[in-house]
Amino acid sequence: MYRYDEFDHAFVSARVEQFKDQVERRLAGELTEEQFRPLRLMNGVYLQLHAYMLRVAIPYGTLSGRQMHKLAHIARRYDRGYGHFTTRQNIQYNWPALSDMPAVLDELASVEMHALQTSGNCIRNVTADHFAGAAADEVADPRPYAEILRQWSSMHPEFSYLPRKFKIAVTGADRDRAAIQVHDIGLHLKKNEAGELGFAVYIGGGQGRTPMVAKKIRDFLPIEDLLTYTTAIVRVYNLHGRRDNKYKARIKILVHETGTEEITRQVEAEWQAIKDTDLKMPQQDVDAIDNYFRMPNLPQRPEGWSQLAISRKADPSFARWVDQNVTPHKNPDYGVVTISLKPIGGIPGDATDAQMDLVADIAEKFSNDEIRVSHEQNLVLPHVAIADLRIVYDLLLTDGLATANAGLITDIIACPGLDYCALANARSIPVAQRISERFGQPERQADIGELKIKISGCINACGHHHVGHIGILGVEKKGEELYQISLGGSGDEICTIGDITGRGFSSEEIVDAVETIVDRYLQVRTDKEENFLATYRRLGAAPFKDALYNETANAA
Amino acid sequence: MSDISESVAGELWGREGFREDPYIAAETLEETGDAPAVILPLAAWLGLDESIRNNTNRKIGVSVAPGESIDPLLPLLDTIPLIALQFPAFNDGRSYSKADILKNQHQFKGELRAVGDVLIDQVAYMLRTGFDTMKVTHAVTLTRLAEHNLHDAPGYYQPGRGSHTVPGAYSWRRVPGA
Repeated sequence: MYRYDEFDHAFVSARVEQFKDQVERRLAGELTEEQFRPLRLMNGVYLQLHAYMLRVAIPYGTLSGRQMHKLAHIARRYDRGYGHFTTRQNIQYNWPALSDMPAVLDELASVEMHALQTSGNCIRNVTADHFAGAAADEVADPRPYAEILRQWSSMHPEFSYLPRKFKIAVTGADRDRAAIQVHDIGLHLKKNEAGELGFAVYIGGGQGRTPMVAKKIRDFLPIEDLLTYTTAIVRVYNLHGRRDNKYKARIKILVHETGTEEITRQVEAEWQAIKDTDLKMPQQDVDAIDNYFRMPNLPQRPEGWSQLAISRKADPSFARWVDQNVTPHKNPDYGVVTISLKPIGGIPGDATDAQMDLVADIAEKFSNDEIRVSHEQNLVLPHVAIADLRIVYDLLLTDGLATANAGLITDIIACPGLDYCALANARSIPVAQRISERFGQPERQADIGELKIKISGCINACGHHHVGHIGILGVEKKGEELYQISLGGSGDEICTIGDITGRGFSSEEIVDAVETIVDRYLQVRTDKEENFLATYRRLGAAPFKDALYNETANAA
Repeated sequence: MSDISESVAGELWGREGFREDPYIAAETLEETGDAPAVILPLAAWLGLDESIRNNTNRKIGVSVAPGESIDPLLPLLDTIPLIALQFPAFNDGRSYSKADILKNQHQFKGELRAVGDVLIDQVAYMLRTGFDTMKVTHAVTLTRLAEHNLHDAPGYYQPGRGSHTVPGAYSWRRVPGA
């Protein structure tokens, strides 16, 4: 993991001191809310429906046990005993008092964390594959590059007042778990034919009210050019991105309106002018950052395999959890464990202070002191010995953290929705809870197989509904909450935006509608191996629309 | 407005502090009489006869709005004493990129000025992207500038003007100082 040096410590402390001064001036009435607004946003403090909300950055979703303990402590001391992990690999606290914010930022700084650039029209927290540095299918760890980008984008003098927010995601595997093609910049770390590392560069992806799949503008960018090329992209966007309409201000609109070929030409021309400047990275600097992310020295634990076989046979619930929530690790004696924050009927992404402490304890003891936050709102223990799976499972079970549903229909992404968010038109969380309860029975979920449901409470699409295999969008119509369904979306390497099925469904109807879709899928799939998305791609929307809207005709 | 901000309103700020602004802004050259230093809008400036632009007895600077391109100025930079980049709203950041292009990419030697709605937190950013001077309207900014309270950071994660490298540090990092 990256560790702060003196430079980083001084930087973050200075920002906290500055914000303390600003909060004091606000509380003393020297600053109006309007004057305070841009200052608090720079520090991740939003004003929500009921209270101020603090969004804490978890760079590329990587945490130590100590950091997770601190997040638990903040939840307990300054909030109501819980926090909400988001689709941006961050954590949000919904109830802290403004007067406590400087103290919270102090606490965060003491464990090398902050809330900078989790808001505002700047380059936001850089995200990465949550299995980075552990997954068996990885070409190289994307986090060193995410860390370099984090540093370079921190309080960037040229890029702090962009037309709109700007999100960068990095993946280091062909299987894209970081949804890079729905980001402003998506970087795919890969090797060329000579075996050298570099990036395929995508720009202009995004969700919101105008969802777009990113365009590839470069197939292979050498590592040393990462910062100069990124500068060129963001500079072209800063100069030419639309500022007349907030809803057309993201780079995806610029790319769309300018055309991929022309925008590529502009980026390349800008890059030619700066490619040999101070931002060209010497290999020794890349190596130094890379060094922080070395694979830990994991002892051989071959005894795990026979133990696992015995434990599986003795306990079908444990076996189901291993099948669903453990992913292959680079080291065959180890596994990557997904801790589901989607208990049946629970609130997606929420964790209590006690749960956070438990996860931190387990990570310290059984996962080389490492935890990840996934954009699917789960937690990950990246380095667990197969031999320790049973004890880790038993520990997780003690506080409701062993739900065996990673990637299944109840592993639902949902934004905070109208229960918290000032922008929302409809509630998301209760819909997620009811769907989860409807499909919660383990055998039924397992039979349905991989199926990603994603729910947003408004068109801003924080719940990523556009890339849900089944996406649900809450809208408000004549004072009622109405839910639109889209099908066939996907945020992975074959990225697609879902197709809207037709008229929306009321809050009462929406769960039945999802069940109708699922039942039809079970009827039409070739076999259990053909998951929902593959079936949809083979058959299109017709059978599902038919099931949703022609039910009486079918019954007759 | 506070007493301090009133006392420096209308003055020009640079790293050395506030001073009187030698330039006057006008829409056309005709309305400036024989004023020795003038700032004209981009279109008016480009419309001037080359001999007038190159006249060394008068300084004729050019003002550029956020939506205007600086490209027509690039071949003429040697003859321009001042470029004023406008900030009609604090959140329009286009001029930061223009500043960097002018000062770093094209080594513009004249005065680069930020004019308009500048927040105190932006001043350090502006200096680093290459601005030399500021003509600011925001009262809080004027007060803080008069108090020499720049809201600067102890270190930077990017190269920029007014900073230098530290031996052994990552190539992208800088600390304040010439």
